[in-house]
Amino acid sequence: MKRMLAGLLSLAMVLSLSAPAFAETTLEKINRTGVLTIGTRTGSPPFAFVNKQNEWVGFSIDLVEQAIAPAISKKLGKPVKVEKKESTPATRIPLLASNAVDLIAGTMTDTRPRRESVDFTLTFFVTGAQFLVKKGSPIKGIQNIAGKRIAAQQGSTNERIIRERVPTAQLRVFPDQPGAFQALAQGQVDAYTNDGVQLAGLIAKAPNPADWHIVGDFYSYEPYGMAMRKNESDFRNLANNGLMEAIESGKYFELYDKWFGPKGEVPYPLTTENKRFMELQVVPK
Amino acid sequence: MRGRWRGVKYDFDWSVLWSGESGGWLLQGILTTLEISALAWLLAVALGILSGAMRTVPFAPLRAIATFYVEFFRNVPILVWMFFWYFGVPPLLPHAIRDWLFNHGAEFWAGMFALGVYHGARMSEVIRSGIQSIPKTQFEASMAMGLTVWQAYWLVIVPVALRLIVPPATNESLNLLKNSSVALTISVAELTFQTRQIETYTAKAIEALTAGTLIYLVLCVSIAIIMARIERRFAIPGLIARVGAG
Amino acid sequence: MLDFGVVLSNFKFLIVQGFLGVGSFGGGTLRLAIPAIVLGFLLGIFIGLARLANVAWIRFPATIYVEFFRGVPLVMVIFWFWFIIPQLLQLPIPEYGVALTAFVIFEAAYFGEIVRAGVQSVPRGQAEAATAVGLRGSQTLRFVVLPQALRNMIPSLVTQIIVLFKDTSLASIIGYVDLTKAAQIVNNREIRPFELYLFIAVVYWICTYSMSRYARRLERRLAHA
Repeated sequence: MKRMLAGLLSLAMVLSLSAPAFAETTLEKINRTGVLTIGTRTGSPPFAFVNKQNEWVGFSIDLVEQAIAPAISKKLGKPVKVEKKESTPATRIPLLASNAVDLIAGTMTDTRPRRESVDFTLTFFVTGAQFLVKKGSPIKGIQNIAGKRIAAQQGSTNERIIRERVPTAQLRVFPDQPGAFQALAQGQVDAYTNDGVQLAGLIAKAPNPADWHIVGDFYSYEPYGMAMRKNESDFRNLANNGLMEAIESGKYFELYDKWFGPKGEVPYPLTTENKRFMELQVVPK
Repeated sequence: MRGRWRGVKYDFDWSVLWSGESGGWLLQGILTTLEISALAWLLAVALGILSGAMRTVPFAPLRAIATFYVEFFRNVPILVWMFFWYFGVPPLLPHAIRDWLFNHGAEFWAGMFALGVYHGARMSEVIRSGIQSIPKTQFEASMAMGLTVWQAYWLVIVPVALRLIVPPATNESLNLLKNSSVALTISVAELTFQTRQIETYTAKAIEALTAGTLIYLVLCVSIAIIMARIERRFAIPGLIARVGAG
Repeated sequence: MLDFGVVLSNFKFLIVQGFLGVGSFGGGTLRLAIPAIVLGFLLGIFIGLARLANVAWIRFPATIYVEFFRGVPLVMVIFWFWFIIPQLLQLPIPEYGVALTAFVIFEAAYFGEIVRAGVQSVPRGQAEAATAVGLRGSQTLRFVVLPQALRNMIPSLVTQIIVLFKDTSLASIIGYVDLTKAAQIVNNREIRPFELYLFIAVVYWICTYSMSRYARRLERRLAHA
């Protein structure tokens, strides 16, 4: 016990001695370094994933590179490079807090509890949670998962909802989506739950797409936003302006078509309702 | 409690460690860590003794198998073994075994296996170097005094060897306990996993990680203290001068 | 059922990107392991010597340091350096920096113990003789004690270097693209876990086994010197 306490104390000493403690805003940091660091996924097609050529690409990454970074670069009057780091549902908020990344641009759902820790841009995608099962599975939706082995990602909204709504389900929590999908592919779990569009992305990229089914109605509402550290309104405005301009100019829909269109990586057509929702988010100039 | 650290604001809230489900999660995490470590330890000791013995038999193929086991398994990272046993092996198993595993917490067994097999190879080395460090003269002297081979082993070699092996084996066992934290990567809900879980639920990273760190420290330090007591209790005066107990 | 073609078609990514760290992802096992070994050992020398100091206020913190880091898992230390330390310091640390600092600080505790045991293994008479022929304390340490200690340390030193080398795989947890992470990325897409993880196991093994073989030869050579 004594050893332990002393150990902690000395650790605290080392820390306080070495702290340079300078605080700069995100925008100041980008201005100084010329780099916008985003936290994104490596296995969530088509939002952010590593493709066959081992390049890190996706819809969310495109939005940052073609909508947000240009807006920041215009404001600062200098080129802004986008640097990518991996983040998962369990690590994205700590990564923002630790300054490792400036913006989470992956598949993060904007929720009220999360808004207590981070700020969000406007919504850039709308989906809801469903289940991915092997063809012929008895699971048809959230109504019959009691007692079943269900995979979810640690720290995701889906994990939380299943835990609360169906406490009898045997929840297996994985650090990342590919691990959960592999567990499903091997039969370790009976279903994997995540947002419908991501499940569609998994199927599209799976070796045998025909083996898989997405089942159930949306049991949750999942509006995706990009997250940043709290109280950085100038940075947030720039990111939002970038997104709004992309929606206004049609760039957003072009990119949507590239990834989700009929010839895209994951066909997931934009409903007129969702299209209208995106447009309504744009405030006047 | 509101803390300031050289101008950095952080709202400490230690109650996140016991409010809601957190307390139960932590407790479960400790139990799972102890459970997986204890089972893996038994496997490691069994494999260590077995492979150690196999390396001394006068039959080359057995020796080769044991050497291969030790040299291959201890020289590859435990994390790789975790992925290998959890993701790589189950698809190759027969249906019946696979189904049973998947119904009985496959991640736990894969993690246990990865830990046990990896540390078994390391235990084997600990045991071997312990036995090798006993001078041949000990055995010769006991024979000269008229002991039978069995008596020489039972009364002289094994007691000495055990005393030589226990300190490094304790270290190795603590390594096993600490390495069990790597099982979080294959979603075993052990202590590190549960501290991460609390953190994702509460966004209170410092509190959660402090709790996890302290618990590991208490576990390791208390095991080390108990083992040091046992060593002292059974020490043979003048035989083994142990320099600085870890 | 097994198909090792996946290893061949991603060989360049696994080895050049993952193992060496050349490519758009940065990363690299070697780029992390080599500085971590060198810096960890250097810090370890200081800690090991500090533990042998006659003055309590040097010896005591060093002892605490060693006992603390040997009592917690490396994964925990990595999480501290990933999430907490940058927050407290208000200093963004890239994952390379996180991994390197965590490894150096953690492994230095183990290197420190090896250095301490090595120095203690040098017979006291050696230091006394050195003093008798007129060497100063620092000279005794540098020319008499440390060279002999180093020779005695080699076996456990190499064991620890191998442990550290293997531990670098844990950097993949924080998204550092080392060999393990590279295999994970490829596996996430191809779902060929057995083939990929076996392959990287062999790559790790080749490195660590050749290290231990070289060490054994070195040991023999020094024993005859």
